[in-house]
Amino acid sequence: MEGVVSKLPSSFKFINPNFTIRRTNSIKLKLRRLTSSSSSSSSSTTALVESLSLGHITRPDFPILHQEVNGSPLVYLDNAATSQKPNVVLDKLRDYYTSYNSNVHRGIHSLSARATDEYEMARKKVANFVNASESSEIVFTKNATEAINLVANTWGLSNLKPGDEVILTVAEHHSALVPWQIVAKKTGAVLKHVSLTKEEVPDVKKLKEMLSEKTKLVVTHHVSNTLGSVLPIKDITSWSHAVGAKVLVDACQSVPHMVVDVQSLDADFLVASSHKMCGPTGVGFLYGKREILIDMPPFLGGGEMISDVFLDHSTYAEPPSRFEAGTPAIGEAIGLGAAIDYLSGIGMQKIHDYETELATYLYKSLRSVPNVRIYGPVPSQNVRRAALCSFNVKNIHATDIASILDQEYGVAIRSGHHCAQPLHEYFGIHASARASLHFYNTKEDVDAFIEALKGTINFFSL
Amino acid sequence: MALFFFSSPSSCSSFLPISTNTPPLFIPKNNRFFFKSLKCSISNSTKYNPIPCFSSSSCKLEHIVTEFKSLSEPIDRVKRLLHYATLLPGFNELDRVSSNKVTGCTVQVWLDVSMDEFGRMRFLADSDSEIMKGFCSCLIWLLDGEFPEEVLKLNIEDLDVLNIGLYGRANSRVNTWNNVLISMKKRTQLLVENDLPSLYMLH
Repeated sequence: MEGVVSKLPSSFKFINPNFTIRRTNSIKLKLRRLTSSSSSSSSSTTALVESLSLGHITRPDFPILHQEVNGSPLVYLDNAATSQKPNVVLDKLRDYYTSYNSNVHRGIHSLSARATDEYEMARKKVANFVNASESSEIVFTKNATEAINLVANTWGLSNLKPGDEVILTVAEHHSALVPWQIVAKKTGAVLKHVSLTKEEVPDVKKLKEMLSEKTKLVVTHHVSNTLGSVLPIKDITSWSHAVGAKVLVDACQSVPHMVVDVQSLDADFLVASSHKMCGPTGVGFLYGKREILIDMPPFLGGGEMISDVFLDHSTYAEPPSRFEAGTPAIGEAIGLGAAIDYLSGIGMQKIHDYETELATYLYKSLRSVPNVRIYGPVPSQNVRRAALCSFNVKNIHATDIASILDQEYGVAIRSGHHCAQPLHEYFGIHASARASLHFYNTKEDVDAFIEALKGTINFFSL
Repeated sequence: MALFFFSSPSSCSSFLPISTNTPPLFIPKNNRFFFKSLKCSISNSTKYNPIPCFSSSSCKLEHIVTEFKSLSEPIDRVKRLLHYATLLPGFNELDRVSSNKVTGCTVQVWLDVSMDEFGRMRFLADSDSEIMKGFCSCLIWLLDGEFPEEVLKLNIEDLDVLNIGLYGRANSRVNTWNNVLISMKKRTQLLVENDLPSLYMLH
């Protein structure tokens, strides 16, 4: 195997040299043929690499995937909850803590200067990744939830008045619903919710009709963590801006999987989380248009966010520092920068294309299992789904399914309401199971999941 | 209350196939299957040996821990729980109300808590998850009919051995299992506080 790796084109780098492929007989044969042939040409090597899926190529970079869970090879299909981390991210974290761990924007010494440089470099990487016009439009937060709470408690509290309307969809994550419930209670603003179409997608036509001069904010996901549907954010921002409303986009399920361009989308706010995009936990970010951030009051008070502090009052720093009180998650932000380098190295379009193929394969495979109900739209030429499926099996609780998949087959999926309880209520269910993929998953992972699911259904049918 | 030790997984004790050789230890009381098993034990007395220690919740706890510890494979613990799920006493549909719902993230559990005329706690539970039903069955076997102080004494850590995958993380939001015990204890505490004078009379 390592012989194959050494023959790969120099432009192609495996971070993990222990390149192994599971459950792929055809590829194993190809590799065997290649390694046994002394006259193998670079063109055939290139052909081999081209024949490998992105999942097969990238799996070696993720050490966590190469283990057994409950006696079976791990099949990790809970990526919508959190993604795994490639070696480059783990190495970056180790490098930070072993070489230059120091507080940022504080000390004059070399370590602090280097930590500050790397931290601010990570901000630039995030800005470039989502095509923000400047890095000061990126605020590091604890996670996407904190980013939404930041907007709710600063922009929301200072801009919403009694009778103002905030439009959300019924498919929002709790982190996008609850902060606005709290703010609405404090300000007297009214929350309005967009329901689903018969195709089980948030009804953007209804959303358009609900917009009025009363609308001050639209809060919407880009990709649904339960339905797998993708919303036309560009249209939504265009319609919303026409009535003077701002748009906050929850991009937690889109930023890790596709090209997201905040300028093209014309989003006023956009949030995402590092841990879902192969970065460390403990850090996320808020993108906000410069002209909006500059007028927003602080969120948390403390060090770093101030300009001058007196005993009875303070003046505040410019964004983004204004919103980053206290010591931030320095190593984690730097790790996020490494994750972005890794994702960009592969190419977000390439990731998206591969995941679209996986999404269809997952949907079709799951639909072939009797008594399975999949939520969300049916994929077609015009309707693309994210690579995730929330589903239920008739007469078996989702959590019981997830338990057996884990205990008996080493397959990790999510069960519950995926922090989208109102959406589950909408469907008249209390829970669902969810298999969610990332670019390091393969069709073999999907096959293993489907076989395990069939076995689980059989287990409960006995 | 009569409780019996199953010396082997007999056809009359197992309503689901149990692959392990380790037999189930207890039969939850107050249920129809219990009587079925009882008849079985009478007709084939060698199958069952009474365990005298089952008179107190601490002894029951010891036995349930021993039972689940003897099942080294997680899947066998799941199967055992599924077996006990079938033995869970019936739940009154009228009690399936929101005030009886145990809040949790992944499964629904309803819990009815009352105190009988002797000051003993009475519990009934139901869930839409079969594995959760099994947990509830174990909890009810341990605590139904106990005095409040026995109920309040039980800690989730004492039952770590029953933990199965998702359900097993003590402080996790997915651990409805933990939430059920907490709810049993909280509602017991409330009943005790509301019923102190009559309890004094009983003791």
